[in-house]
Amino acid sequence: MILDEVKEVYIKDLMKKGQRADGRGAMDYRPIRVEKNVFSNCEGSAIAYFGDTKVLAGVKIDVAEPFSDRPDEGIFMVNAEFTPAAHPEFEAGPPNEKSIELARVVDRGIRAANSIDVKSLVLPDGKVLGVFVDVYVLDHSGNLTDAAALAAMAALKNTRIPKYEPSAKQGAKGTFVREESAGNLAIKSDVITCSFEKIEGTNILDATDEEEIASDGRLTIAVADGQYMVASQKSGRAGFKQQELMSLFDAAVAKYGELAKYF
Amino acid sequence: MGSSANKPQLIVDGKRISGRGPMDLRNLKITAGVLKKANGSAMIEWGNNRVLAAVYGPREVFPKHTTDPRKALIHARYVMAPFSSAEEHGRSGPNRRSIEISKVAKHVFENNVLVNQFPKTMINIDMEVLQSDGGTRVAAITAASVALVDAGIPVRDLVQGVSIGKVDGMQVADLDKNEDNYGESDMPAIVSLRTGEILLYQMDGKLTRPEVDNALSMIFEGAKKVREKQVEALRAKYETDVAPQE
Amino acid sequence: MDKKIVLPGDLVADKPVKLEGCFVENGKTYAAVVSVTQEDRTIPLKGRYLPNYGDYVVGIIKDERFSGYSVEINSPYEGQLSNRDTREEFRVGDVVLVKIMAVDEVNSAIVVEPRRLTGGEIIEIESVKVPRVIGRSGSMLAILRQYTETDVIVGKNGRIYLKGGNTVLATLAILKICREAHTSGLTDRMTAFLQNESKKVN
Repeated sequence: MILDEVKEVYIKDLMKKGQRADGRGAMDYRPIRVEKNVFSNCEGSAIAYFGDTKVLAGVKIDVAEPFSDRPDEGIFMVNAEFTPAAHPEFEAGPPNEKSIELARVVDRGIRAANSIDVKSLVLPDGKVLGVFVDVYVLDHSGNLTDAAALAAMAALKNTRIPKYEPSAKQGAKGTFVREESAGNLAIKSDVITCSFEKIEGTNILDATDEEEIASDGRLTIAVADGQYMVASQKSGRAGFKQQELMSLFDAAVAKYGELAKYF
Repeated sequence: MGSSANKPQLIVDGKRISGRGPMDLRNLKITAGVLKKANGSAMIEWGNNRVLAAVYGPREVFPKHTTDPRKALIHARYVMAPFSSAEEHGRSGPNRRSIEISKVAKHVFENNVLVNQFPKTMINIDMEVLQSDGGTRVAAITAASVALVDAGIPVRDLVQGVSIGKVDGMQVADLDKNEDNYGESDMPAIVSLRTGEILLYQMDGKLTRPEVDNALSMIFEGAKKVREKQVEALRAKYETDVAPQE
Repeated sequence: MDKKIVLPGDLVADKPVKLEGCFVENGKTYAAVVSVTQEDRTIPLKGRYLPNYGDYVVGIIKDERFSGYSVEINSPYEGQLSNRDTREEFRVGDVVLVKIMAVDEVNSAIVVEPRRLTGGEIIEIESVKVPRVIGRSGSMLAILRQYTETDVIVGKNGRIYLKGGNTVLATLAILKICREAHTSGLTDRMTAFLQNESKKVN
């Protein structure tokens, strides 16, 4: 869009003076808010608000066959939808490279931290529980990854497991009594992500969509339990030096508490 | 990362199953200019990995409405052949994993290629994984860098990389398939040694701060070895152009 | 006279210099393509043709429009031939020798002085090797024409049009020149080669 190009120049000029269009410091968040248990039909849900950005995560629990190479583990999967409601340039259709990347980065962080004890998801009849997280971007005003990761974690930490009744028939899947809870999904490790956008050589946290257009590249770091790097992804053409990457890791660790308090 | 019950012991008496030391890379050979029709090409044989990279362009943009009047568009495609894995027959074409890898590979070359010299064009970089044994994305991009140079497309540096993992608590370079499947961490990266910049960085696992820092140092150390092989490949093809023959 | 291969990223000069196939970053000059350096020159060994003012190129009529023709010139960029610059009519697929009259900032080329080329063969070589096929003040071309009796028209874009005479020998000779483009004493060797080969045929 032609307006974006005009704003890009403005944002870069400001950044050269160390300023952001909304007056924030480089490492400041917009106002953040998380609503939990927003829907009753799914087993877990949360909406994360970062300024005008709104991202929803819904968790469904299903009964599934385990993967053949991992018979003693449940299934965990994250998917992301960039709904056409969220941005004029988002189109309906199969997932594109951006939504796939977002889903996979969020998935990797939670999976690598062993947040969900997949071994605890095995049912007495040999079936397993599948934990399916669907991230829905409702309003794209930048920093979708961090909002998605926060919504996903908040939803997972408030996910109930429905009561399972095995089938009388050998080998057949049993059924859920969804109204009855068998307790909450156990979360062993808390994960947040911090995404930094590089504009004119300066790295900023929690970029708006306009700042993302002006950005040369992004580094996302997933931090578990306030100290470990559990996933990371560089995106965009910018390069990052070793020192720079380490200092952004330190910044992500320092920011952990600001996000983790919303779970 | 893998946590399956049938995990083999990956470090025995301080050595990796393959007998390699922590920083030892697998055998690595690159051949430049293996295809006739492509503007540039390269084949990489890295351990048991076999990846073919082909470059076409700069050429007219298709579809036309995506043309950028300021620079060349990079189209990168990483895909695994259905017969490439030691396990069952795979689905042909891109999946979620390969779409993600294609995206971050594209970002590497948007940095690396002097795209402003070729406005209104596109450059296609095709990376075909024919046999996979862990570390295919760094192998593919390392080969693609050679293919770009073979195509005569101006770039800022040869770029290359290696994957650093953690297996049985030990940080090691250039994971093979077993180490990748059952290791505790994987960090594939592509760098430019000239600028000291990391151009592709992905990571999963669970690493402390000193471990991350150490892995990054190992990446640059490994990249030096990989670059030597890229240089060998290009010299082998272009040296004959310089030396008198009779 | 030390010839040396440089690869992308290799330092060519400690100061900013405008050299073919090179770029400047932080005040230093680096190679961007695989090249040969010789004294203070760099010669790229590979690269696609970019239109340049004054070049004669062998093109193919690609499209016919109301205002003229677009000409494919073995480059990422097309040439535009305006009706105002030619009275001749062309068809899609016609081979033409054209002169590049202007190139804008996004490499679009205006081409003029079209000369229709009919009844010959076209071969394509790396455009960076064209100067060798032509030789110093046309010396290589002269011996090519002399021994093959072929009409050879060399486009700067790496397209060569061959007509009449021993076109097979001309093609073989040109490919040999390309293979040995950066060797010394090439003109003498080519003379010997052509003498030898042309005798075989006769």
